[in-house]
Amino acid sequence: MIESKKLRISAYIILLIAAIICLFPLLWMVSSSLKPLDEIFTNMSLLPKRFYFKNYIDAWVKGKFEVYFLNSVIYTICSVFGILLISSLCGYALARLNVPFKNLIFLILIIPLIVPLPGTFVPLYVLLKKLGLLDTRIGLILCYINGGLAFGIFLLKSFFEEIPKELEEAAIIDGATSFQIYFKIMLPLVRPALATLAIFNTVSIWNEFLLALIILQNPLKMPIQRGIMMFHGTHITEYGQLMAGLTIATLPVIIIYLLMQQHIIKGITAGALKG
Amino acid sequence: MTTKKPDLNGLLFVLPAIIMFSIFTVYPFIKTFQMSFYSWDGISPIMKFIGFKNYKDILFNDPLFWKAMLNAAIITFLALTVQNLVALLLAVIIDKGVKFNKFFRTVFFIPPILSGIVVGIVWKWIYDGNYGILNAILSFIGLKEYTTAWLSNTKTALFSIAVVHMWKGFGWGFVILLAGLQTIPKELYESAAIDGADDFKQFIYITAPLMLPVFFIVSILTILGTMQIFDLVYSMTRGGPAGATEVPVTYIYKYLANNELGYATAMAVIFGLILFSLSIIQIIISRKLKKT
Amino acid sequence: MKKFFTIFCFLIFLFSCSPKKVEKGVVIWHWMTDREEVFNKLAEKYYKKTGIKVKFETYAPSDVYREKVRAAAQGKLLPDIYSPLGDLRELASFIKAGYIEDLTPYMEEGWKNLFFDNILRQNYYDKDNQWAVKEGYYGVPIDVVSIQIFYNKNLFEKAGLDPNNPPTTFEEFIEACRKLKTAGIQPFVSGFAEEWLVNVFCQSFEWQVLGEEGIIKTIKGEIKYTDPRWIKIFKLFEKMSNEKIFAEGVITMLNKDAERVFATEKAAMALNGSWGINVYKGMNPNLKYGVFLPPKLKDARYPVKIWGSSSFLNVNALSQYKKEAIDFLKWLTEEEQQILLTKETHNIPSNKNVINYIEDENLKNFASNIDKIFPTLPILEHWKVVSLKCRGLQSIILNQKTAEEVASELQKLKDEILKEQSL
Repeated sequence: MIESKKLRISAYIILLIAAIICLFPLLWMVSSSLKPLDEIFTNMSLLPKRFYFKNYIDAWVKGKFEVYFLNSVIYTICSVFGILLISSLCGYALARLNVPFKNLIFLILIIPLIVPLPGTFVPLYVLLKKLGLLDTRIGLILCYINGGLAFGIFLLKSFFEEIPKELEEAAIIDGATSFQIYFKIMLPLVRPALATLAIFNTVSIWNEFLLALIILQNPLKMPIQRGIMMFHGTHITEYGQLMAGLTIATLPVIIIYLLMQQHIIKGITAGALKG
Repeated sequence: MTTKKPDLNGLLFVLPAIIMFSIFTVYPFIKTFQMSFYSWDGISPIMKFIGFKNYKDILFNDPLFWKAMLNAAIITFLALTVQNLVALLLAVIIDKGVKFNKFFRTVFFIPPILSGIVVGIVWKWIYDGNYGILNAILSFIGLKEYTTAWLSNTKTALFSIAVVHMWKGFGWGFVILLAGLQTIPKELYESAAIDGADDFKQFIYITAPLMLPVFFIVSILTILGTMQIFDLVYSMTRGGPAGATEVPVTYIYKYLANNELGYATAMAVIFGLILFSLSIIQIIISRKLKKT
Repeated sequence: MKKFFTIFCFLIFLFSCSPKKVEKGVVIWHWMTDREEVFNKLAEKYYKKTGIKVKFETYAPSDVYREKVRAAAQGKLLPDIYSPLGDLRELASFIKAGYIEDLTPYMEEGWKNLFFDNILRQNYYDKDNQWAVKEGYYGVPIDVVSIQIFYNKNLFEKAGLDPNNPPTTFEEFIEACRKLKTAGIQPFVSGFAEEWLVNVFCQSFEWQVLGEEGIIKTIKGEIKYTDPRWIKIFKLFEKMSNEKIFAEGVITMLNKDAERVFATEKAAMALNGSWGINVYKGMNPNLKYGVFLPPKLKDARYPVKIWGSSSFLNVNALSQYKKEAIDFLKWLTEEEQQILLTKETHNIPSNKNVINYIEDENLKNFASNIDKIFPTLPILEHWKVVSLKCRGLQSIILNQKTAEEVASELQKLKDEILKEQSL
């Protein structure tokens, strides 16, 4: 708790202002989703004249959401799982185990983070074609996993390095294998980092659509962003349906965030230090 | 302790990442790098080899590219300072423990979750010269002379975009900083409080030093993420007015859209090398700081 | 928890390994989201008539569509019907790479007589075109779009202007703007963040001052951008900027934003295309407006011309269903289908016999001016020069540069490019 009363009050004021600034666009999005197109820009207030739910129905049907929604869920869950697994294994090894050339490997693996190459879509596409992975869910998932590795390894290696060596040494004396140490001791200790990674990657994969669009041909495999794209046409933007679609698409991410938050709990590391 | 066992396991643990990387990152990288030495429109089967010409043109004959770099650097500087300070402040407050904890944490993460489309449309509306809220508020509180078309005025356009970027980005920093703060054991604060240290002193002597690695992560990610800014600029101003908000990635995209794949990829390579050097410098600085 | 996860993921992997279905029938990729419903209706109609399946797939917005087409071209996975959505230079690349079918034999059979000649020729290559493409027709227009100036009749009345007599000369145009300003109304808006739109506005003056001859000579380098004729054109923008006719923030408005400004009656005039009719109907069905041609300059040597184009569809030369694709396109451009398209999407039909079926007054106006659309030139200006010209015009509108400054910068770039091209 904040000790001084003055500081506490200013803290709450700051929090409140920040919250309003953050919430405003979201409220506008939801409010517009409940207005018909001609009202959205003529009626400036946040409160719609009446609750026009047709936008949501249109968005779901026109955007074929039931299909795309499921696809997005599949891509996100599989990719996030893959990212967490591979980058935690790698991060742990680079932080604690004796891997030859570990510094070099680390630098190389985080290069994608540092060197952006916007032109890589086309070669990636050609590569997937050669591997026969074009227009497959696995192909897209592998691309997403690969995309999240650099940041994952970077973050987890740092967190793993901060864990006191005594814990490991105690486990080795007790005869544990590397994998057991990794799985039973180290992994739970970096839960905040894992949760952070889960959130980051969920948001970016859920919102990603350019790569999905290019790699996938079969419309039945498309993610939810493709459905939304339908309302953002060349000449006409169906703002009402667009906002409704975006609201539907944003909800799951907020839910995931709420779930992950619970895992960032203080007491864990404190307990580990004592024991 | 280095016994034979950790070695093998170590390699095994690292293997999946290396395999993925070699297939999905190395190959496209090499191909893209290769493209930068050619003049190619992306469609025709013939590519014209021109050696280092693209690089020479970019380094010595393209002031617009460097202006774009400067613009991105300005936004990055603002992000490093203002954005991260705000994120830190909010993270510290939440970490100390306040009521409605969960509510605030969710709300602060909403900007990063929102799709770029929504952010672009809403902020464009806020900044709009005709019926924007910002101008309305300024007029209301008596500052009418400061109203302008924020995104169309070459003096204010870049700064306006920077504000939106920071608004959207501080949520990331907030989450990472909070995660870091929460790994600091409560007991340290408690014993400091007993010793008579107030909130400020606790921050300076306990929090800050322990958070150095996290600050470092956040700052490197801020630089990398902000320099590569694209969606916001593209959807709000397309790099206008008259190039005042052009950033490297929108500039590269322009060349890609005009089928100059060789030149565009060469710019991407140069851009990447610059970011790479910046990151190396940061890593070196952080290593030195760690030693003290 | 972990066990559940692994089983779940395993199931998903199984799920994802579904065998690839090969589509039988004609696949069309397009970007016209407003026509999706009509297209699907037409596809069904065609299926009932001929038993051939036609599948329309939408990818929008247009820059996303272009990415998809380009990537697919690389992988030789283009659909049966699509469009590179680029200019003649880009289309030429696709043709030379073997991705576009030469439609000349079909056109010469009589198909070409359905269309407006100047429109059809926008996907046509002359004998000595600069890209060395084989002479002929390569695309099928399925509609016509052109750009003129929309004006709000109510706002005109408010400012004391005759709503049925929009300005015809540049002087009248400026005078109208002044009156609107006095009445507290923003005179003019357009999506000038989009360079091509700035170019369109400039071109409507270029064609009057220089004519086809002059423009071609400029591209060849025989007339410089510092020529008094060009300076005169740039000075028009200076004049418009000094008279403050442009709406607040025009330089960073996308066309969509400008459309919104006009639809919500915050500006009296808008430079926009015929698609605007459909857009305004959606945003503000009560809007009372008309259209007029770009204003005539006092001592213009050539007649007024407007920008116009079409949504072209091209056939994939590597397609297995080429014949079926061409048959479908022939059917799509027949009267009955064109009438349906026009009625439901408010776009000008490409089939010239259908013009009389247009009901909307303003659309009729657009249609009646198709002959004024300027023809495609056999050579194009380098994209960097066009881009710099548009940037320069944006700077003039912002009062940051003068006409002379822009002209000399432009000529400098042009000289560099001419030098490179001669190497």
